[in-house]
Amino acid sequence: MLRLIVGRLLFSVATLLLVGLILFLLTRLLADTPARIVLGIEASEAQIAVFNRDHGLDRPILTQYLDWLGRIVLQGDFGKSFITGLAMNAELARSMPITFELVVLAFVFALALALPLGILSAVLEGRSIDHVARVFAVAGVSIPGFWLGLMLIRFFAVEWGWFPPGGFSPLSSGLGPHLRSVSLPAFALGIYYVAILSRMTRSSLLEVLGTDYVRTARSLGLPRWRVLIYALKNALPPVVSIAAMSFGYMFGWALIVEHVFNIPGMSRALLTAIGQRDYFMVQTVVYVFTAIFIAANLIADVLNRALNPKLAGAG
Amino acid sequence: MNRGIRRLVVRLGGWSGAVGASIVLAIALAALLAPWIAPYDPVSLNLERKLQAPDAAHWFGTDQAGRDILSRAIWGARVSLMVGVLAVVIGLVGGVGLGLVAAYYSGGLVEQAIMRTVDAIASIPLLIWAIAVVGIIGVGPVLIGPFRFANEFKLLVLIGFLYMPGLARVTYTVAQIEAVADYVRARRVQGARDLAIMFGDVLPNCLSPLIVQGTLLVAIGIVVEASVSFVGLGVQPPTPSWGTMLADSRNYLFSGEWWLPVFPGLAISVTVVGFNLLGDALRDMLDPRRSTGRLIA
Repeated sequence: MLRLIVGRLLFSVATLLLVGLILFLLTRLLADTPARIVLGIEASEAQIAVFNRDHGLDRPILTQYLDWLGRIVLQGDFGKSFITGLAMNAELARSMPITFELVVLAFVFALALALPLGILSAVLEGRSIDHVARVFAVAGVSIPGFWLGLMLIRFFAVEWGWFPPGGFSPLSSGLGPHLRSVSLPAFALGIYYVAILSRMTRSSLLEVLGTDYVRTARSLGLPRWRVLIYALKNALPPVVSIAAMSFGYMFGWALIVEHVFNIPGMSRALLTAIGQRDYFMVQTVVYVFTAIFIAANLIADVLNRALNPKLAGAG
Repeated sequence: MNRGIRRLVVRLGGWSGAVGASIVLAIALAALLAPWIAPYDPVSLNLERKLQAPDAAHWFGTDQAGRDILSRAIWGARVSLMVGVLAVVIGLVGGVGLGLVAAYYSGGLVEQAIMRTVDAIASIPLLIWAIAVVGIIGVGPVLIGPFRFANEFKLLVLIGFLYMPGLARVTYTVAQIEAVADYVRARRVQGARDLAIMFGDVLPNCLSPLIVQGTLLVAIGIVVEASVSFVGLGVQPPTPSWGTMLADSRNYLFSGEWWLPVFPGLAISVTVVGFNLLGDALRDMLDPRRSTGRLIA
C-alpha cells in the first residue's frame, strides 16, 4: 500500500513538472512578449533587450522554468508580474481563499444532499421518490450552473430580495451577510455534483443490495438498517473516489460561477490577467489550479485502491 | 396508440430515450436548416424594436440590439452542436487509437508508454485550460492557407484533445478483455495483420461503451463551449451563440427583461437534457452491465 502511494505521488509530481513546462512554453511561445506589452509596439529592439535582461527573459526557456519552479518549491515565492509588478503571492492570498471556500461549501452541500438522496432512491427503487430523484438528476447534470446562477439572481435576489444579487461579503462583515452572499453561488456550483454523486450512490448501492451475501444477511433475519450499513460499507468506496475527483473539477466551474456572481476570487484574477495580457499571472493561476486538480485525482486514486480490497493488491 | 410508434419507443429504451432522441433530432434539424427556418436575420440590428417582450412577431422577444432571440437561438444551435460533436470526434479518433494499441500490446513497454501519457494528459483540467489557452493565444481567427478558422475551432480542438484520455481508458478497459479472446488468437493464426485485427475485429466489439460515452460527452462539450463563450473567450460576435447571448443578458438582470437570459439558457439545457437522456438510454440498451464508469467534468 505504501509503495503504491509513493509511486502515485512520484508520478503526480512528474506530471505536474511536465504540465508546468507545457504551460510555460505556451505562455512564452504563443503570447506576445511582456516587453512588447509593457513598452508598446514603438519600443526599439535595444529597449526590449534591456527589459528582457532586467527581468531575466533573455535566458534559455528551460533555465527560466527551473528558476521559476525552484522559487515556488524552495521559497514558496510565485514571483512578480512583468506587467503590473504585483507579487503573485499577495494576489493568490487575496483570491484563493474565496474560491477555496466556495468550492468547499459546494462540495459539502453536494455530498450532504447526494448521499441521502442516492441511498433513498436505491432502497425505495421504483417508488415515486426514486422517479423524482431521477428527474432531478437529469435536470441537475443538464442545467449549466452559470445559467442556474443567473436565474437565481434574477428571482431570489432581484425579484424577491432574499439574497444579495452578487458580490462577496467577507466573514469580517458578519456571519449572516457572509453566508447569504455565498449560498446562491455554492448552490449553483454544487447542484451538478448532487446529481452525479446521487446517481453513483444509487447504482453502486443497488449493485451491492443484489449480491448473495446481502440476501443471506436478510434471510438470517438481520434488521434492515444493519443490512443497509453493511451494504453501504461496500457501496460507498467508488462514490468516495468520484467525489474526490469532483472536488478537483469543481474549481474549474467555480471560475464561471464566480464570474456570474461577481465574486472577487480566482476567476476575477484570471480574467483580469487575460484582459491585461498579464500572462505571468495567467500561468500562475492555471498552475495552482492544475496542482489542485492533480492532488484531487491522486487522493481519488489512493482512496479507491485503499477502500477497495479487490484493487489493493494490484499495482 | 400506433403500434409502430410504440415499437420505436421500446427500441429507444423507453420514453426517456425516445424523448432524448427526439430532442437531439430536433436540435440537429434546427442547426442544419437554420437559414430556412429562422424567422429573422440573426445578426441584423433593428434598434427601433430593441428589448421587445415576446409577442406574435417575436416569439422569444428581441435583444438589446433589436435582434430576434428565437432566430439567434436557432442559429446558436449550429456552433454549439459543431463544437460538441467535433470535439467528441477528435477525442474518439485519438482515444480509440491509443486505447486499442495499448490493450493489444498489453504487458509491454508500448502499453506503459501510452497509458502513462494518457494519465498525464488526464491531469489537465479542461475548463481552466480552455479559458487560459484561448486567453493566451487570443480570440482572433486562425488562418491556415485559404481557410479561416474562427475562435471556436481552437476551443473544439482543445476539448477534443482533453477528451482523449477518458475515451482511451474506456477503449483500453474493454479492448483488454477482447484482445485475449479466442477469436483474436484465431485471426492471428490465420495470418491477419495486427492493425487489421485491432480495427477490424477488436474495435467493433468495443463500440457500445464508446457510443454511450461519446453521446454524454457531446453534452459536456456544449456546456463547456457555452461557459467559455459566457466569459467572452469562446464564440465571438457577431456569430450567434447561446453563451454570448447569456453574457449579454447579464446587463439586464435588474431591469424587467426576463426573456433575455431565459431562452438561451433553456436552449442549452434542453439540448443537454436531450444528449443525456439519449446517452443513458443507449447505455441501458447497449451496455447494461456498465463496463465503464461515467466520464464526468
